[in-house]
Amino acid sequence: MKPRKPTLSVAKQKSASPPAGPGFETNILRLVKGAHESSAIKSGQVDAILDPVSGRAILLPDAQAALLERKARFRSLIELASDGFWEQDEHYRFVLHNGVAIGNEPSKKESILGKTLWELPFSNSHEIDWPTYQRQLEWRAVFRDMEFQYLDSAGQLRIISLSGEPFFDLQAQFKGYRGITRDITAHKLAVTAAPESDRFARLTLDGLAAQVCVLDASGVIITANNAWRAFAASRDGMGIGTGVTEGGNYLTACGQTLGHDQVDAIAMVAGIRQVINGERQLFRYEYFTAGAARWFMATVTHLNEASVARAIVSYEDITDIKRTEQLLRLEYDVTRILVNANNTSVALKAVMRAIGETQQWDCGRYFRLDPAAEVFYLDESWSVPAPAVLQFLQKSRGAVSHPRAGLMGRVCESGQPLWVVNGTQDARASQIALTHETGLDGAFIFPVVAESQVIGVLAFASRIVREPDERLLQTVKHIGEQLGQFFHRQRAENILRQSEVRFRRLTELSSDWIWEQDRDFRFTKVAGDIRNTGHVLGQFLWDPSAQVVLAESAWIQLKSQLAERWSFCDFEYAVMHKDGRLGYYYISGEPVYDETGAFIGYCGTGLDITQRKRAEIVSRDIE
Amino acid sequence: MRRKKTLAKSLGSRLTAALVMRLYVANSAPNSLLAIANLQIICDEFLQDNFKLEIVDVLEEPLRALADGILVTPSLAKLAPSPIAKIVGNLSDKSSVMRALGIRG
Repeated sequence: MKPRKPTLSVAKQKSASPPAGPGFETNILRLVKGAHESSAIKSGQVDAILDPVSGRAILLPDAQAALLERKARFRSLIELASDGFWEQDEHYRFVLHNGVAIGNEPSKKESILGKTLWELPFSNSHEIDWPTYQRQLEWRAVFRDMEFQYLDSAGQLRIISLSGEPFFDLQAQFKGYRGITRDITAHKLAVTAAPESDRFARLTLDGLAAQVCVLDASGVIITANNAWRAFAASRDGMGIGTGVTEGGNYLTACGQTLGHDQVDAIAMVAGIRQVINGERQLFRYEYFTAGAARWFMATVTHLNEASVARAIVSYEDITDIKRTEQLLRLEYDVTRILVNANNTSVALKAVMRAIGETQQWDCGRYFRLDPAAEVFYLDESWSVPAPAVLQFLQKSRGAVSHPRAGLMGRVCESGQPLWVVNGTQDARASQIALTHETGLDGAFIFPVVAESQVIGVLAFASRIVREPDERLLQTVKHIGEQLGQFFHRQRAENILRQSEVRFRRLTELSSDWIWEQDRDFRFTKVAGDIRNTGHVLGQFLWDPSAQVVLAESAWIQLKSQLAERWSFCDFEYAVMHKDGRLGYYYISGEPVYDETGAFIGYCGTGLDITQRKRAEIVSRDIE
Repeated sequence: MRRKKTLAKSLGSRLTAALVMRLYVANSAPNSLLAIANLQIICDEFLQDNFKLEIVDVLEEPLRALADGILVTPSLAKLAPSPIAKIVGNLSDKSSVMRALGIRG
């Protein structure tokens, strides 16, 4: 800004009279002799009179007040428009400056006074065309907004701007330059940073994997990132809002979406409008595009910039997340099925159904490997209720396959899953893919493994078998191992069950009854021929009501053994029968512990030895 | 500071010779500014380009004003053509100013 009349106050102070006091007007009128002048003074049309004695102009009070006010206003404006002002002599040396510093001045010794602009240590001195600047000064040209940089005493970069104009004395002699200083550090840094900020924002936007665009209030795409443009170029009619990018109206494009995606498009348009209108700050919508077989999460957020309503729309491909969720759920379902199952056939059907429905496969069969016969037998199957598939399954009942032939043979040998995306191109898949009968031309086969041995294969056939990803392979491997463990456990349980049956039968053959006691040695279970033993549930062996005949010392010895949790064998005792004769018995037992190792009682067997004992007594009596 | 405003103008239609004037003001005091504004209106309306005007700030050149016989400001001196004339005040009386300058409206 070019300063206006900076010497006004100086001239006034030199020429104007002291402030008006009592009798001032009278003195003024005394100086003015002319009638016109007196009349003008009285009518208030005069600003100053000239005193012939002193040769000075004397301001009248009103004019003086007006000029002071104008001066104050001018100073205020100068202060508003600048951060300091300065003055140089005719040799361009600073003679006055105040306000913002011009260069680093840590002390008076290093003051800029007496120095020219080019003598000051500005950090950008080398960038300034000093010869041209000095030539302009010689031409007395006005200069504006010359920028200088320096480090202040705190080491911070300061950027100042100087503007100046020449001034002259009454004889039109050049007296120097004067002007203003502005601190433009913040402005310059902001200006410098702004393009970098824009570039950074652009790079960030383009670096996002999600497809992002910004819509104006009418739905026109103002800007979009690279991912959006790439997706718009590639979707070719698939999904919501086909192929629209900058300049296109996204809401219109969404409105034109047809087919399976139409409902999703309508929902998206409604959500975007709500966000643009400020009815909600965030709208999220998850949908599946059948055409691209992909899941997307759409997010619309409100962008209110300078009262202009806008919306940011982003699409994120969440197919992998959804697939992972789906497969995790499948693994969980299979685990739950196998944990709760006690029937192999039911469990197999349920597992195949869970896999088939999750992967949208049409048919599943389990082939059990008979290692002795070296053949695969079709053990169990599941399918969607399609007549052709059901008919095929019916026909394949009783089918057998060699474990070293075809796809199943390869799976058996490698222990790894195999898949056929198009079964018609692979003759080995003829038994797996059901092309001829059903039109299903894809197959997926994976092994069921127990203790590192393939014990069977699960073969699925479908129209939509795709190249499996790593996650699916991981899942089927896990399921194959789970099934193998399940079969192994089932087999072990069967063996154990059979073993228990055999043991029970042997026990029954070698004893007359079996018994169990609680931790207090009361009978809780007695099974077998106990009619004459006197044993009653809830009673001790040595209960008086049992009519047991035995020396007290023998009972004490038995009780001490029980207290020590010892096993005992063939403890002999006698019971008085109702006919007054004694019956003789052996009883054997061992302590029982629960899974935590806590003692829970005794169990054992009993044997009736009455006949043998009586025979021995008779024989002894004879002797 | 010397404040000299000289407008060299060509002949107008109503005057055969250029009107030469000198206006004495006290910087930008109210009556001085008013006098400049009033004179500008008259010049624009009646003189068009046919005048020369010099403005003298008496706060800067008081001796010159005294030498010209000026006692108060604002004052307007008509220097040519003859007869010379002097008008004191803020020139708000338009008809008096025009009469003193020899302008017929």
